[in-house]
Amino acid sequence: MQEIRTQLSEDLTAATTGQDIEAVRVRYLGRKGALTLLRKNADFSAMSADEKKRFGQQFNELKRFAEQQIAAAQARQKNTALAPPRIDMTLPGLNNHLGHLHPISLVQLELEEIFQSLGFMILDGYHVETDFYNFESLNIPRDHPARDMQDTYWLKNGLLLRTHTSANQVRALEHYGVPVRAVFPGRCFRNEAIDPSHENTFYQLEGLMVDREISVANLIAVMRTVLTAVFHREVTVRLRPGYFPFVEPGFELDIQCLICAGEGCSTCKKSGWIELLPCGLVHPRVLEFGQVDPERYSGFAFGLGLTRLAMMKYNIPDIRLLNAGDLRFCQQFPAAV
Amino acid sequence: MHISLDWIAQYVDLSDLSPQTIAHRLTMATAEVEGIETLVRSLDGVRIGQVVSIEPMGDQLTFVSVECGTEQFTTVCGALNVREGMKSAFASAGVTIARRQTITEKQVGGKTSQGILCSSEELGMGGGHFGILDLPASLESGAALADLVPPSDTLLEIDNKSLTHRPDLWGHYGIAREVAAIFERPLRPLQLVDVAQYNDLPAYPLTLDDPENCPCYCCIEMTGVTALPSPLTLQYRLHALGQRTFNILVDLTNYIMLELGQPMHAFDASRLQAIRVAPFGTTGRFTTLDGQERHMLPEDLMIWNEREPIALAGIMGGLNSEVSERTTGLLLESANFKDARIRRTATRLGIHTDASQRFEKQQPPANTKIATERFLSLLLKVGLQPQVRSRFTSQGTLKEQTRYLDIPTEFFHRRIGNPIAQDRIVSILTSLGFAASKTNHTLSVGIPPFRSERDISLPVDILEEVTRIQGYDNLEPQMPNFSVERVAFNDRLRTQHKARRVLAQAHGFSEVHNYSWFDETWLKTLGYEPEATLEMVNPSAEHNVRLQTTLLPNIFAVVRKNTALRDHFRIFELGRVYLPAGEQDRIEKNVLAGASCQHERLGNLEAHFRQVKGALEALAEQLSLGALAFAPATTTTAPWHTPGGYVDIILQDAVVGQLGFLSGPLLAKIAPAAQVVWFDLDFDRLEGPIFPATSYAPASRYPGSWFDFSIVASARAGFAELARILDEFSHDLLKKREFMALYQGKGLAEGTASYTFRYWIESQDSTLTGEQIEAFQQAYITFLESKGLHLR
Repeated sequence: MQEIRTQLSEDLTAATTGQDIEAVRVRYLGRKGALTLLRKNADFSAMSADEKKRFGQQFNELKRFAEQQIAAAQARQKNTALAPPRIDMTLPGLNNHLGHLHPISLVQLELEEIFQSLGFMILDGYHVETDFYNFESLNIPRDHPARDMQDTYWLKNGLLLRTHTSANQVRALEHYGVPVRAVFPGRCFRNEAIDPSHENTFYQLEGLMVDREISVANLIAVMRTVLTAVFHREVTVRLRPGYFPFVEPGFELDIQCLICAGEGCSTCKKSGWIELLPCGLVHPRVLEFGQVDPERYSGFAFGLGLTRLAMMKYNIPDIRLLNAGDLRFCQQFPAAV
Repeated sequence: MHISLDWIAQYVDLSDLSPQTIAHRLTMATAEVEGIETLVRSLDGVRIGQVVSIEPMGDQLTFVSVECGTEQFTTVCGALNVREGMKSAFASAGVTIARRQTITEKQVGGKTSQGILCSSEELGMGGGHFGILDLPASLESGAALADLVPPSDTLLEIDNKSLTHRPDLWGHYGIAREVAAIFERPLRPLQLVDVAQYNDLPAYPLTLDDPENCPCYCCIEMTGVTALPSPLTLQYRLHALGQRTFNILVDLTNYIMLELGQPMHAFDASRLQAIRVAPFGTTGRFTTLDGQERHMLPEDLMIWNEREPIALAGIMGGLNSEVSERTTGLLLESANFKDARIRRTATRLGIHTDASQRFEKQQPPANTKIATERFLSLLLKVGLQPQVRSRFTSQGTLKEQTRYLDIPTEFFHRRIGNPIAQDRIVSILTSLGFAASKTNHTLSVGIPPFRSERDISLPVDILEEVTRIQGYDNLEPQMPNFSVERVAFNDRLRTQHKARRVLAQAHGFSEVHNYSWFDETWLKTLGYEPEATLEMVNPSAEHNVRLQTTLLPNIFAVVRKNTALRDHFRIFELGRVYLPAGEQDRIEKNVLAGASCQHERLGNLEAHFRQVKGALEALAEQLSLGALAFAPATTTTAPWHTPGGYVDIILQDAVVGQLGFLSGPLLAKIAPAAQVVWFDLDFDRLEGPIFPATSYAPASRYPGSWFDFSIVASARAGFAELARILDEFSHDLLKKREFMALYQGKGLAEGTASYTFRYWIESQDSTLTGEQIEAFQQAYITFLESKGLHLR
């Protein structure tokens, strides 16, 4: 009986599937099983009453043992069958579908949302412009020295590649009238030698707000609000004189350096301030070109450099990377804003 | 432009103001100061010496005896301008001059050199290396230079661009006026000699033939002036600002230019008979005083002595009329030239002088007279006694009158957005040289003649003057008040952004930006010759003349650039193409183009093509454009339009673009051993509704069922042909048909393929019965048989 007990334990250890265990059960407890045969083949006639009693006790114990062991094996097997399949959850994730947006698009999308939240329209414009919209209507007549400041690509048919998105100011006034609040993002061109900080193709976002009583104080407040949204924190701005023929007074708007908080560092060239955008009150002549009465209306305009902002935001050290089409650059940017 | 604070201090008290404070306040109120430089002069031990004798030594060297007070020295001198009797600066052995150079006694060519005669540069005074200092005879021999010249000066570097509109700031007096206004300190008036006292003298013969390009020409003739060395003060001021000194007559014109911004010219009167201001008239040559021969155009403005051109107006004089040491008669020109004329000629000839730079800012004509009066005053101050021979002769308009503007006081408050006291407005304007008087609610403002008409002519111009001195950083920000109105969305831009997102977020495309022009070299490589294009007059490079009419060549260039870096990638650009329209117009179109590139071992071309096609179909669906159709393309306008290698993309019966793949030699040039699938979509024709009316269709309450059928058909006929046939089948229970898979190969006859479709059937009003399902299958099989198709 001890042999049977040992053998059963070994057989159950070897049995892994439900079928194996069932086979063990049949082999020991079945109608022709080892235990059944043991009892059937026992010669009770040759046993004393005591021996009969002992055999009976031992046999019952063995049967209980066998039943317990088999039930336990069945339970173990059942538990194993319910467990999740084993996979290697440490393998890297698969992503075959995400591409990348251009950093200019990312910044443009973000700015458009900010300006829409303040009630500005978003307008598109021509890349190929007329002298009138790019210069004349912006109070930059022929021979004005400001034309020298913006080296222009001229086309053989007399048109030009716009040198700034300001070319949309009078178009917007003509088309929408006043009051108007609008921004115009887009590509601009200047005939400049290309180096790490100069490109002949770049992006700006021009803004225009014209209403009954628009003041310099309004300009400062709106710019501060917008820039706080752009940089995701409170921004300190300051104005100083800047000359642009289509605004009067004209300003350069500086922001306090975000790296050193005005203490002076290499980013702000120790000045504590970063020159960010030109702006000013719309020149009365520009309003007149847009069929708006400067006696009754005033406004402000500003020119954000989208390219510049993208470079600041993503730490892009060389402007030439933006138009180079090198995927080692393009694929570093997210697909979603 | 550099400004000397030592010079400014002559007009305004700068005591207790640090250069940093002045620079900062000027930046905040007037013009950007880009740098502060300190000029330290090395003067200790340097004395005034007189050249007693000169002995030539060969090699351009001379052996010179110098007397410094009672002491005698000898020196070997290499300067060309050394002459007997001249006074100069002498540094004897042991004296340390600029760049920490200590003078020692030396033997040169067998002669003893006990020190050196110094140039301004050698003493750290600036001014360049133009020979030894040539000082006035009145200076006492042996006097210490340190007692005569300040030991240092501070120079502010002002950003020229921020002075574009302020001709008055191109001189020290203009900057001094700003400093005086900013710090509320008095500005010392300029000493002038009133030229009205010469009105009884005859006019100098002067003809002004081109009043458009020369609004005002003035001159005055005098004798009794000699071209002696300038006083020391004049010399060190000019040297500090990098100017070379010549003689009192020339130096004074430069000094006044740096003081008032008005360039002048000193002619030797003995060489002139009469002045005429007129264009060059023909093409020809003219030699400027730097010895260069210049090619002249008829429109270039010249100063003529009767029929002989003597100066390039406003830019540079000629060789034959300059003052020299023999000059005793002077004709002083003080003129006003048109900015554009000067700019054009100067730019074309590549001559940018201090004078042309200032005339290009359009100086106010009134300055011509002020500068002349200043010249006479300074001549007297240096001890010359000129005998004036002509009256102050002027042709054109001097515009000496003050211009007046009446401005309501409330205008300032309204445009600034903060209150400002009327008295403060008046005091600021007065400090800037304006006249200002108030009557109740109106301010009468007189604009001084020295301020440019272009800069100051409107109330907002006055506003700027007041506000910048008041200080922009003192303003309290104020959000504007306006009524709340809904702002229309820009649907076109939103569609573009949506397309960007679909391609980047769902289909693995990376957005690129390319230039807006073709690269002619690359076009040649591709073998592409675009049709009508817009061309640039002044392109960034010779091979970038034409504006792009398709984005694909630049896209292909990006593909080629990246094949070495990636074995698979997808790119797109949403850009502009530019088409000529009529003689003076253009059409701009937004175009969406892209390419997908993968190494040929990564999959088969057909599957690759289907992926890109699927992306475009998904894009059309997301933009709510409806289904795209694709049809064999017929036109061949570019090398990538290979017959059989591309299809037209059709939207509502109109061709809106092309989709294709590269092959053959073109592929080899762009991406050898890879597959390139490209597309080109006229984006302006892809406008769908921004908020599409997606409408929910309820699912049937009764379970449906699906069946997969694999149909064997001719592979050559293509999928579209099979789909067209299958479209003819209709059945009440049929919900939709989906294409599942394509199989070709073992078990199928050559030239055939097995197309597996899934048919979804359901009923809206009952659970499908076995009979219904069987009837559907039977109907379908009967249909196939009628078309000569069979199941696999």
